[in-house]
Amino acid sequence: MTVTLLIAADSIRALLHQRLLVALMLVMLGLTVAFSMAVTGMKESVLQAAELAAEAEGSDFDEEGLQQARQQIDMAGSFFLAAFYWFAAFGGTAVTLFICCTAVATDLRRGTIRMVLAKPVSRTQFLLGKYCGAMAVMLAYSLLAGIALVIFTRSNALELGVAALYSPWLMFCSNLMVGSAAVLFSLLMHPLVAAVVAFFASASFFSSPNPLYFILPSYDLFNVSSLIMQGRLIAMEDIFILTLYALNVAAIFLLLALWRFRSKELL
Amino acid sequence: MRVIRTENLRKTYRGGTQALRGLDLEVHYGEVFGFLGPNGAGKSTTIELLLNFIRPTTGTASLFGRPAADPQTRQRLGYLPESVNLHAYYSGRGVLEFYGGLLGVERADRRRRAEGLLERVGLRDAAGRKISQYSKGMLQRLGLAQALINDPELLILDEPTSNLDPVARRDFRDILLELKAAGTTVFICSHILSEVESVCDRVAILQQGELKRAGTLEELSGTAGATVTVKHLPAGAIEALSATEARLTVRGGESTIACDSQTVLEDVERLLEERGVEVERVETRMQSLEEIFFGAIDRERTP
Repeated sequence: MTVTLLIAADSIRALLHQRLLVALMLVMLGLTVAFSMAVTGMKESVLQAAELAAEAEGSDFDEEGLQQARQQIDMAGSFFLAAFYWFAAFGGTAVTLFICCTAVATDLRRGTIRMVLAKPVSRTQFLLGKYCGAMAVMLAYSLLAGIALVIFTRSNALELGVAALYSPWLMFCSNLMVGSAAVLFSLLMHPLVAAVVAFFASASFFSSPNPLYFILPSYDLFNVSSLIMQGRLIAMEDIFILTLYALNVAAIFLLLALWRFRSKELL
Repeated sequence: MRVIRTENLRKTYRGGTQALRGLDLEVHYGEVFGFLGPNGAGKSTTIELLLNFIRPTTGTASLFGRPAADPQTRQRLGYLPESVNLHAYYSGRGVLEFYGGLLGVERADRRRRAEGLLERVGLRDAAGRKISQYSKGMLQRLGLAQALINDPELLILDEPTSNLDPVARRDFRDILLELKAAGTTVFICSHILSEVESVCDRVAILQQGELKRAGTLEELSGTAGATVTVKHLPAGAIEALSATEARLTVRGGESTIACDSQTVLEDVERLLEERGVEVERVETRMQSLEEIFFGAIDRERTP
C-alpha cells in the first residue's frame, strides 16, 4: 500500500511539474469569465429586446414584460449553466485521456520505469499507483470545476439545481471509467490512438444491434447537462448507483490492464 | 551459497533474434563477478531477465534462491544501468529519498542515508539541485548512489563507468573495492577489461548468447609467453633455435630466448634439453584478461 501511494505521489509530482494543475485552474477561470460575460450580454440583449418590443407596441415596459424577460433569462441561464458543465466535463475527459494514456507510456519511453521496477515494486503496485495519482489530479479538477460552477451561478444570479450540485462528482466518476480505459488501451497501442479508442469505448456511440452496445460501458449516463438545462432533480440513490457503476467499470478495465501489464516486456 | 543462478536460460525476441542460447551461470556470495562479451553477446539481456524486465523463452533465473520474477528479491539488490534515467523533477537528494521509500527505508533514515551517499559519490554540493541540471557523469554517480541506498547484498552494474571521466572512474573503482571488502556481491558488465581485471574474482565471457568461458582469472589464463635465459649456448643450438618461432638475443655472454606462446616455449625447452644446454632461468608471463577475452571469442562472429 505504501509503495502504491509513493508511486501515486510521484505521479502527482510529475503532473505538477508539468504545471498541469495551474493550466487547469486557468482553463476554469477562463471558462467562468467567458460564460459570465456571455450571460451578462444575454441578459442585456433580452432586456433590450423586451423594451424594444414594448416600444413597438406603444406600451410601457411594465411588470408583466419584466416577468417575461426574467423567464427568458432563467431559461437562457440554465442553458449557459449546462453548456458550462459540458465544457468542463469535456475538458476533464480530455485531461483524463492525456494523463492516463501517458502515465505508463512516458515512463516506458524515458526508461524511468526500469529504475522503479528494479526496486521491490510489483507491476500491480506500479500500475495502480499511476492510476491513483492520475485520479487524484482528476479529483482536484472536479473540485475546481465545482467551485467554478458555484462562482459562475452566484455571480450571475443563476439557480444552482441539484443536478448541477452533484455534477462535479459525476464528472469524476465518468473520468474514473475513461481513465481506466485509457490506461488499458495505452498498454496495447500508441498513446494517441489509445486516447481516441478510450474516448469512443462507450456504448453511447453504438446502437442496439451492434454487440459493442452491450459490451461497452456508457459514459453518457454521467452527462447531466440535459438535466441541468431542464432544471430537473437527481436522486441520491441515482448518484450512489452511478458511483458503483463507475467503480465497477474502472475495476474491470484495470484488471484487464494489469493482466496485460504483468506480461509486458520492458524493451 | 549462490546469489545468482541461471539454468538453460534462453531468450528469443520477436523476429527470431536469439539473444541467449541456454546460459548456465552461478555467482556466489561475496564475489565480484565480471560479465564480459562483445556487443550483442546477451549481457544486457541477462540483466533484464534477472530483473524481470523481460521473460525468458525457456529456462530459469533465480536470485537469492528465489525466482527472479519475485519482487522481494529486489529488496536485497541494487541496480545501476548503463543509461541512468531518473525522474528529472526531483533533486538529487529527493530522488534518493523516493527510492529509499520504495525500498521500505524508514523516513528518518532516508535523509541520513541520502546525505551519506551523496557525500560518498561526490555530489554533496549538488544535492539540492534538480536532476535535469545534472551532467551525464553526475547522473552516473547519482545512479550509483541510488543503487546503494538499501545497502544491497547484490549490486548489478551494467557498463557503470561508461560516462565517467578518469578521476570519477578511479573513485568508482575505490567504492567497488570497499564494497568487495565489505562482502557485497557485485555482478558487473563492462567493456573496459582492465577495470574488470582489477576488481573481479571471477569472469564469464559470452558471445552471441553462448557462454564461452567462466572461471577465476587464474583458471582462465594460460602462459602468454616466456623468456628463457641461458649462459652458454652452443652453435648447434643457435642454429636449431633459428628454425623455431623463438627470438634469440645474445648480450654479454648471456643469451635470452623470447617465446610468445606456450607451444614455442615447449619447443625451446625440448630443443635445449636435447642438446644438454643448462637453463639459467625461465620467466613466464600469464595472459592478461584482454588476451583471455580475445582468445575466447570468435572475432569473425562479432558484429
